[in-house]
Amino acid sequence: MSRQAESSALAAAPPGAAPARWTWSVLAAALAAGALLPQVVTSTLAITLLTQAVIGGILATAVGLLIRQAGLVSFGHAAFFGLAGYFIALPARHGLWPAEVSIVLAVAAPTLLAFLLGLVIVRIPGVAFSMLTLAIGQAFHEFALRAREITGGEDGFAISLPRALYGVPTEIFQRPQSMFVIAWVALVVILFGLHLLTRTRFGRVTAAIRENEERARFLGYQTVVPRALVFALSALIGAVAGTLFALYNAFVSPEMLHWSLSGSALIMAIVGGTKLLWGPALGGVVFFFFKDLAGDLTEHWPAMIGLTLIVVTVALPLGIGGALVRLLQRLRPAGGRTHG
Amino acid sequence: MAETFAIEGGGLTRRYGGFTALDAVDLAVPDGEIRGLIGPNGAGKSTLIDVLSGRADDWQGSVRLRGADISRLSAQQRRRSGLARSFQRTNVFPELAVREQLEVASWRAETPNVDEVLHEMGLAAIAHMRAADVSYGDRRRLDLALALIGRPTVLLLDEPAAGLSMKESMALAELLRDLASRWKVTVLLVEHDMDVVFSICHRITVLHLGRVLAEGTPAEIRSIPEVVTAYLGSAVE
Ligand SMILES: Nc1ncnc2c1ncn2[C@@H]1O[C@H](COP(=O)(O)OP(=O)(O)O)[C@@H](O)[C@H]1O
Ligand SMILES: [Mg+2]
Repeated sequence: MSRQAESSALAAAPPGAAPARWTWSVLAAALAAGALLPQVVTSTLAITLLTQAVIGGILATAVGLLIRQAGLVSFGHAAFFGLAGYFIALPARHGLWPAEVSIVLAVAAPTLLAFLLGLVIVRIPGVAFSMLTLAIGQAFHEFALRAREITGGEDGFAISLPRALYGVPTEIFQRPQSMFVIAWVALVVILFGLHLLTRTRFGRVTAAIRENEERARFLGYQTVVPRALVFALSALIGAVAGTLFALYNAFVSPEMLHWSLSGSALIMAIVGGTKLLWGPALGGVVFFFFKDLAGDLTEHWPAMIGLTLIVVTVALPLGIGGALVRLLQRLRPAGGRTHG
Repeated sequence: MAETFAIEGGGLTRRYGGFTALDAVDLAVPDGEIRGLIGPNGAGKSTLIDVLSGRADDWQGSVRLRGADISRLSAQQRRRSGLARSFQRTNVFPELAVREQLEVASWRAETPNVDEVLHEMGLAAIAHMRAADVSYGDRRRLDLALALIGRPTVLLLDEPAAGLSMKESMALAELLRDLASRWKVTVLLVEHDMDVVFSICHRITVLHLGRVLAEGTPAEIRSIPEVVTAYLGSAVE
């Protein structure tokens, strides 16, 4: 199959069509699988790793969405992840308002911030955009380090959460078995929502703007606001990941804002495949298991990850997800023939 | 009473650094006319289309659409007021299906005529294909089709037949003439193929070094010796 035909098959979704019945089945199956997994995987270590992987997968989904829907590569998504953490941690520390309010703000504030930032920075093309996001991300990191009085500096601090959040015992968020299910459901709901979104007019128009911003303008579209909205949506998903992470660990530190986290999320997205909605999340899971494995074998795991990234981008330009789809497409016609 | 033109440019000037690509050009195209815009390479034809359509960011002069001053409007606002354009270098959405991109265009138009345009431009059979996967000729027609969505009042076409065979160019010209009269579209057509220009244009404007050298009916333009020697020479035997 030619590369073109391949990527068109990956992008396949008839315009304007209602979601097929199989999408609902996939949704149900995905939710059920998540609920059952902690029953099957009894090792706490494994489930802890899985929980981290799913939260990482949500952050990677955020970065991947921005690439897929706006053609923009963010090197600074840890900013939204970390801000969410501090929006939960700081009000708790200073007794400002109930944790339930903080959680809403933790998701809403980074989203709004990203929208306003987006109105300015989405106009800047290519690598310059990436560098700007890196700089913005690092500015937050720097602030968290320096403003010791407010943030506790580089050590970070434990978040004192009430015993229950929205009537749910807080320990539910902190036990890996239950948090895995929560994070998994969040991931599945996000992916499903994004799947529906790509079929809306907004999804189509932003895809067109990504493809050819100039022509979109000459067809009558204002192109900055839609891209800023995609940036905001991407930040929202990153903030959800940060919120889950902060609740799970009941701890924040400037590491949540560090560029290396942004970089990891980007690697996850690319390794998994950004042409596919679920590629980055898959990349996240692969990343965490690979990191764990490589970490056991050698202390040079970052180099191993770098090497893997090079191999994947060269050998599998559509990522692991793209390679999987190709494999399935190869198998399907053969299966059809045996059934006559 | 002064006549209202479909599209009218006054004193249009565009400089690139010290170089003046467009030098106080006046142009007025009446309703329903197909106006040819010819001139040698570098004469400023594309620059004129850019200024009229809102692509240029640094220019002087005024642009009126059916009498209304649109000089200050952005490209997207001009398109929504009924001024559409195509591009010299194919400018489509490679990863989107043909129908899909026409639909995206139609959501911004008062008359969402996707099927009509697909049919008129002979793109119906490849409507499901990605633009990147269709032939060059089809991609050229898709570029034009995007501009035709919503039946614009004024169409600025920058070498729509560039790269097409002689036969394809003539077919496209016929189609354009036919659509323009049926949909009452005013057309400003930049075209290198003089057969096309002289067969479908009501009037022709000749641009040379950023200035209007001559303007008239095809017969008048053919009879101006300096136009012929300037560059028509081999094109019109
Ligand atoms: N972006 C640009 N920067 C500098 N000079 C330009 C630019 N675009 C066009 N020009 C110059 O302006 C003149 C007119 O160009 P253009 O309008 O493309 O001519 P035409 O379409 O008639 O061939 C040419 O001399 C060209 O080199
Ligand atoms: Mg030109």
